[in-house]
Amino acid sequence: MRRYLPAGVLTGVALALAGLPLAHPPAFVESILYLVFFWIALATSWTILSGYSGYFSFGHGAFFGAGMYTTANLAGPLGVPFLWTVPAAGCAALLLGLSIGAVVFRVRRLRGELFALLSLAVTFVLATIVLNTRLDGGPGVYLSGVKLPKLYASPASTIYLLGLSVAFASLIAAWLMRRSKLGRGLFAISDDEDVAEVMGVPTFGYKLAAFGLSCFLAGAAGGVHAIFVFYVTVAETFSITVPLYVVLMGVLGGARHWIGPAIGAVFIIGVTYSFVGGDWALAGRAAVGLIFILAILFLPQGVMGLVATKCRRRRAPPEAAATTAPALPVVRTLLPPGPVLLSCEDVQLAFRGVRALAGVSLDVREGEILGLVGPNGSGKSTLTNVISGYYRPDAGRILFRGKDLAREPGHRIARLGVARTYQIPRPFARLSVGENVALSAMFGAAGLDREAAERRARECLDFVGLGDRADALPTALNLHQRKFLELARVLASGARLILLDEVLAGLAPSEIDNALDLVRRIRANGATIVFIEHNMRAVLALADRVVVLNYGQLIAAGLPHEVMRQPEVVAAYLGGAHA
Amino acid sequence: MPSATLLGQSVLSGIFAGGLYALLGLGLSLSWRFLRVINLAHFGFIFLAAYMIYQLAGVWGLSPFAAMLLVVPCLFLLGVALQALFLRFSINEFGSLLVTFGILTITEAAIQWIWTADFRRLETPYGTASYRVGELFVPVAEALTFAVAVTLSISVWALLRFTYIGKAIRASADDPDMAAAFGVRGHGLALLLSGAVAATAGIAGTFIALIATLAPAQIFSWIGVIFAVVILGGLGNPFGILAAGLLIGVSEAVTMALTAPSWAPLVSFSLLILILVLRPGRI
Amino acid sequence: MTIEIGSRRGFVAMLLGGAMGLALTGAAIAQTSGQPVRVGGTLALTGPLAATGMVHKIVGEIYVEQLNKKKGLLGRPVEWVLLDDQSKPDLARTLYEKLVTVDKVDLLIGPYATGAILSAMAVAERQGKLLVHHTFGIPNLAKYDAQFPAWHMGPVPEKTVAGLLIDALAASEKPPKTIAIVTSKFPSVHFLAVGARDVAKAKGLTEVLYLEFEFGTKDFGPIAARVREANADFLYMGSIGLEGVQLLEALKKLGYSPRHHYYTYPAPGPMALSPDAAGALSTTVFEDQPPFTNNPGAAAFAKAYKERAEKAGLPYTLADVQGGASYAAWQILEAAVNATKSLDDKKLAAWIHANKVDTITGKLRFNEMGNYGDDLSKVKQVQNGKWVVVWPKEAAAPGAKLIAR
Repeated sequence: MRRYLPAGVLTGVALALAGLPLAHPPAFVESILYLVFFWIALATSWTILSGYSGYFSFGHGAFFGAGMYTTANLAGPLGVPFLWTVPAAGCAALLLGLSIGAVVFRVRRLRGELFALLSLAVTFVLATIVLNTRLDGGPGVYLSGVKLPKLYASPASTIYLLGLSVAFASLIAAWLMRRSKLGRGLFAISDDEDVAEVMGVPTFGYKLAAFGLSCFLAGAAGGVHAIFVFYVTVAETFSITVPLYVVLMGVLGGARHWIGPAIGAVFIIGVTYSFVGGDWALAGRAAVGLIFILAILFLPQGVMGLVATKCRRRRAPPEAAATTAPALPVVRTLLPPGPVLLSCEDVQLAFRGVRALAGVSLDVREGEILGLVGPNGSGKSTLTNVISGYYRPDAGRILFRGKDLAREPGHRIARLGVARTYQIPRPFARLSVGENVALSAMFGAAGLDREAAERRARECLDFVGLGDRADALPTALNLHQRKFLELARVLASGARLILLDEVLAGLAPSEIDNALDLVRRIRANGATIVFIEHNMRAVLALADRVVVLNYGQLIAAGLPHEVMRQPEVVAAYLGGAHA
Repeated sequence: MPSATLLGQSVLSGIFAGGLYALLGLGLSLSWRFLRVINLAHFGFIFLAAYMIYQLAGVWGLSPFAAMLLVVPCLFLLGVALQALFLRFSINEFGSLLVTFGILTITEAAIQWIWTADFRRLETPYGTASYRVGELFVPVAEALTFAVAVTLSISVWALLRFTYIGKAIRASADDPDMAAAFGVRGHGLALLLSGAVAATAGIAGTFIALIATLAPAQIFSWIGVIFAVVILGGLGNPFGILAAGLLIGVSEAVTMALTAPSWAPLVSFSLLILILVLRPGRI
Repeated sequence: MTIEIGSRRGFVAMLLGGAMGLALTGAAIAQTSGQPVRVGGTLALTGPLAATGMVHKIVGEIYVEQLNKKKGLLGRPVEWVLLDDQSKPDLARTLYEKLVTVDKVDLLIGPYATGAILSAMAVAERQGKLLVHHTFGIPNLAKYDAQFPAWHMGPVPEKTVAGLLIDALAASEKPPKTIAIVTSKFPSVHFLAVGARDVAKAKGLTEVLYLEFEFGTKDFGPIAARVREANADFLYMGSIGLEGVQLLEALKKLGYSPRHHYYTYPAPGPMALSPDAAGALSTTVFEDQPPFTNNPGAAAFAKAYKERAEKAGLPYTLADVQGGASYAAWQILEAAVNATKSLDDKKLAAWIHANKVDTITGKLRFNEMGNYGDDLSKVKQVQNGKWVVVWPKEAAAPGAKLIAR
């Protein structure tokens, strides 16, 4: 039940605040609280996109402004009843967001500051359009004639109540998302989008959903605000203040926490609007600046960042004794070659004319460990990236259980039952070890729900011997442990085909034995493994079959010892002189 | 159809505007890329410098360029002090946004305190002078600003590329631990760089004072467009920022010459969006 | 008049508590007897509008001090509860609500700039308060019955102001035949320029150029190039703040000086002092010069303003439109209170509606659309680094007339 405590408290507070107009407080109280709600709504809507998914928007003014002008035009000249215009304002912003997202989210490199720039540019473009068309045209839109419906108490309280509702809706949405699959997926996107996609997170759809929701809430807040200010002008609406302040609020409160930006909003608006005395306006302004500086000096991670650190410290168990709990039996069985699980047919891929894969055809059979070897630059990693969906091949088919993976996005390939590890481990840095593994169980082929995924994650972590580190952050692990975390992730995903990309690289000899043992046990659980490796001894010890790539072409395939003796293979490894 | 003179004059105007954008944005770009500080205070420093130039040259009668020689070292020290604060409290990239916003707010308040919110203009003989070249007029102050922007960009590029300090700065930004292992003194470099960044604010402020009438609130009016130029140009890329400044400046100026000037931002920023979507590898 | 101690106490309380909406005002100097009459208002003391907000602050301080030196209002001292709306209309709304519902001030006086005044107007309407305001720019948006503008530009300035201007030019030595209109899309400036197009047409001027630019435009080069190419007899520039000077400087750099040129709301100092602005026209309702200062009250005000502006370190120290209208607003309030012997908003409003008020900007009446009356605008021109009223003749500074290039 503790899980629902925050939502319960939030609802209680919101209900109490909703009752406030019945007590007929001074108009000022409703008005100042409205402003706080307004900024909470904007900051929280911003964090749903930017805090959660890491797509840092500097264009929140555009979405807020789209809502503002929707209400201004509907409720003003067109005479639509005000209450209807608020959802319409949300929808207008939603449409704007979705159409931007549909284009932008397809471009892989539009992240980080480039996305911030793009959203800023959208603000300028939208402001110019509004300024030069009948949406405004220059004189501003004046809304004094708009009738405010009376919900209860007085018509003036309607604005207060709507502000409260949008703020509450934003916070509840942020809270629900954070615990949901969507939220988990977004956190993963924020940490490493490429890995998230390959692990099964439908990144495009998730980003679009977050963007849409964020815009809808910002637009609805704008719709309400249009009536609050009731004289809507381009210069005020699209000023730099909105994007700058929401970002500052997110930073101060902690952008990855659902309530962080709201705390930031209350703080920043509280401080800014406290210093309104006419006789020392400048001193007040300087004091605001000073408080901002002090706030971040003492809370470098934001308010909620501090809270989260405290909690993590409390949750961390005392140094546990090394646990050895191989939960699953280890059986080394030489399986007869099963049916073909994955079949690459003439797979080709070129980068700016350089042929990385020059028509590779190979089969992977159910239940085997296939060693994929070749010198540096031979195309092993490229092939892994093509199979897992990071790259789309120029030509050829990749058949996996009857489906052609070549045209599927990465997350669908993961869903179908393919998982991979990375040579340099790429855990989601801001999710705990346990969450990293659970994420894989939720989004991979297993497709477990949250609780089942968490159970599965614990089992898998025990299986690789990381059971006691579940609450730690990946940065606290050493390389060896991070490699095992990668293994736990593929294990948890429930994949039929696992691509292991140089799991042994960088490990000490004793650790290598450990890892090899683990790979065998993973296979024993029923998975098929493609084992990409430089360490020949390990390949010989582990692989049932070996294929050799050189210059993007398959040059040999067969039983390990036989293949390694073939002259082409020797030449490929030792250089052309021996050919 | 506008005359060739009108078009030529507008393009020239756009080029000079672009140069000014680059000059104002250069420091921001460097500190973002190499110090991981998104330095909003840079805008405050630029105007602080401009007001200091106004005071020294406009009120106390120094030559603006002599004044610049006094102002730039002051700004350098301010930059060093700022970075010392960041190092002392190990503030991250996003935290820097809030801290520098606070500093910006204080700077603005201080400027208004000293020089009031009313407008200040540094009157110089060359402030509005221009040379006639064929059919076109070349304004002296703007041309000088542009020349300085280009010179500064080239020098920064060369410093980063060819000198030991430049290489060390780049190495430190890419991999501080590795750079430290090779004997690069990260903290010292960061202080130096931050000082240099603030010094560029001093130079930019000098030219703002020459070209524009000053008011404290104008500080904020530059943030949007300069951010756009800085990111579009590629962080830490002195030529990129020049190209980005020219792109926005010239496209706006040409739009203003051809159609209703109020549509200008639509053209420049749509162009920017197109570039981002089609060639996300920046310009 | 506020004093230091009160505000410092407020400051400390703020630092300690940080709570919103604490009383931030000082106590009044009791030179008269009884509870002070509290007049509440906000001004843009920080933010982009602060340059003009400060003018209103100086004027208000002068006026309240003068009031308290006399017998205050109704024999009671006057206290001005002044808050800083930070140039934000939404904050202005909230602070006016605070003034009315929490501080419970007796009277309201307007903030600065159209957006904030509209906010204050709506609060006054909901709370049934009287609002006298200084410089509101868009008369047809003033819909509340108990709001009274001190800045008298008539109910339809988009017709009358341009008419006055073109008449003034027609009477000059070189009447213009063609007009170029260039305007900022700033609301209170834009509608005047749109109106000026019609007026110019009706008065027989040929429009050779019409341009709209975005408020906040930085590069005026291309616009200047187009103005130069159009080469009209008369350049009408819808501008606010620095825009006028920016265009003038850009024109200068192209070696071009317009023959007749007009600017809507130029920042007075930069334009008067600019070496390129000779002959620039604008409109005004008050200047620190005769015949305005023939009125002893006006002369005393102008002198007091100059002293305080100098003390505050302002670069331009002469009272003009903003200061004059600001002073007039206080005069309206004082006249109404003295005449009705009351602080009742309804009585005050009824009186103002029915009467003319004598102010330093002229005799004001409030019985047409939007409670506006006569358009009292006058045409002024920059001559020898000073603003000089040149039209209409009876308002012109002694011996001054419109100079044509």
